[in-house]
Amino acid sequence: MGELYLDARLEALRRSQNPDGGWGYFPGKQSWLEPTAWAALALHGEPASDGAWTLLQTWQLDDGSWRPSADVQISNWGSALCLTLACVRGEFDDSFKRGVQWLLGTSGNESVLWKRALMKTGLFSSDRNVNYKGWPWKPDCASWVEPTAHALVALQKAAGHYNASGLDERVRSGRGQLRDVRCADGGWNYGSHAALGVDLPSYPETTALALVGLQGAKDLSKSIATAKAMAAQTTSPLARAWLRIALALHGETGPELPAAPTPDVMITAVEALSCSNYKFLKTGDPT
Amino acid sequence: MTRRDFLPVAGGSLLAGYAGFAGAKTHPKRALGPSAVAVVKAASYSEDLVSKILEGVRACKLDVRGLRVLLKPNLVEFDPNTCINTEVSVVAAAYEVFKTLGAAEVTIGEGPGHRRDTYAIAEMARYRKEIPQFDARFIDLNRDDVSPMQGFADRGEIYLPNTALRADLIVSLAKMKTHHWAAATLSMKNFFGVVPGCVYGWPKNELHMVGIDRSIVELNRIFRRSFAIVDGIVGMEGNGPIQGKPKPAGVLVMGSDLPAVDSTCCRIMGINPEKVEYLQMASDNLGVTEEARIEQRGEAIRAVRTNFELIRQFHDYRLA
Repeated sequence: MGELYLDARLEALRRSQNPDGGWGYFPGKQSWLEPTAWAALALHGEPASDGAWTLLQTWQLDDGSWRPSADVQISNWGSALCLTLACVRGEFDDSFKRGVQWLLGTSGNESVLWKRALMKTGLFSSDRNVNYKGWPWKPDCASWVEPTAHALVALQKAAGHYNASGLDERVRSGRGQLRDVRCADGGWNYGSHAALGVDLPSYPETTALALVGLQGAKDLSKSIATAKAMAAQTTSPLARAWLRIALALHGETGPELPAAPTPDVMITAVEALSCSNYKFLKTGDPT
Repeated sequence: MTRRDFLPVAGGSLLAGYAGFAGAKTHPKRALGPSAVAVVKAASYSEDLVSKILEGVRACKLDVRGLRVLLKPNLVEFDPNTCINTEVSVVAAAYEVFKTLGAAEVTIGEGPGHRRDTYAIAEMARYRKEIPQFDARFIDLNRDDVSPMQGFADRGEIYLPNTALRADLIVSLAKMKTHHWAAATLSMKNFFGVVPGCVYGWPKNELHMVGIDRSIVELNRIFRRSFAIVDGIVGMEGNGPIQGKPKPAGVLVMGSDLPAVDSTCCRIMGINPEKVEYLQMASDNLGVTEEARIEQRGEAIRAVRTNFELIRQFHDYRLA
């Protein structure tokens, strides 16, 4: 059954690939980095994946980051996905190193020096510990759970192939931030655990992503239990796909997939990834 | 930036606002006020909302014949214990109204601010079940194809979804809610949902960095060809826009001048619009906010005013 479900999704991805080698969020739409990267990982080893990588290479900017599409000239969190894909493909050239350096040099602007200094003096307060450095969706913004999780995966995978200065410390700090913003129920909101002092709810998709970013951590039993409860309740196909990946990476069984893929290319790609190639997001057991 | 600083910037960039997208509709600056705002009573969602919305649209003399209309509801996330989103029956009724009035095309589009699975939220909010052929009529604005637009605050440009840029008219189908940062979220703040997550993320943190009030005004400057329908049948009070409590106000508020609509909503909610920063930035620039310059149609404000509970930060926003 599982293989049939995977085949249906891989076939849907093959059919919806754009002539430029990428994928749009929906069939027939412009190619975007995010669905392209997930589809390329799901189809790794096939010519379709190679075509996607060729396209993504042309989207790398001079600063080492990647833009999210051909037309958008903004450095983007999806750079982490390209680095993960590069690791899976074994592409550790200069562009890979520039990408890692960009990721290491990018952090949420809540952790800038003056905010950390004010926090120490008590003149500034925050619902999160600004001493930790996570990653933003784009530069000059605050850090959030999802881009932080993807950056952690990319850097932890890169660590074995590029001895970049400061990498281990950024991974420790990023993981520290994910722990710091964990909600009271053990799950994760998209950002902090509270706003204006009021507890925020956790969400299934961000809980799953945080668990992907925190592979190997020893204090996750409550979070995993929360994720399993979410898997039993959520109707979101995207959340279910990420929960499948997260729980599998933590040695647990996730929710079932629906039989047929949705018209949503990105969800189809993440669902396909959750069947087998989720192992490409495995990062080992860091500190 | 103060309101006084903002005015010349906004005026200048109005002319340049569409330099980046050939398919965008030009939105000429119009003479301001007096502006018609219709307040229509609706005690519950089981009333004939098509008739109620028609009544308001006609009171504002809106002509949509031949236009490509984008309905932009406030679809954020779903919590069965409160009322975060524009109620599905209001969206369905608006769809029917604009088709009936001769719009060439009616599309529904939204880009939720922090939940990534837009269709799942639409499912939970019953949009997919109760709006006929919803999936065929809906565009996830977070993941639409985009084009750059010049002139957004100090950022130079902003990328916006082609579906919104190509619309002749965007109908802001907002929810009447308090907001823990901006005091109130109504038809103008609802435009945050057109900013694409695929470029700016979930949440669209870039708007917070620019400043919530300024971003609201900048987006409304870009999308001048708009109409507001605010769902205040059951609004949200307290710690809005997500964690507040349901607050029945029993009204739909409509108009083409969004600052006028939103300031009217504030008065209905017992909020002083002169305290709301984005309304003051927009006043005399994008629309009017003074009560004397608003032609109230339908119900009088005093007949429907019901004070919304405000969090401590906004206690001094209470209207006398």
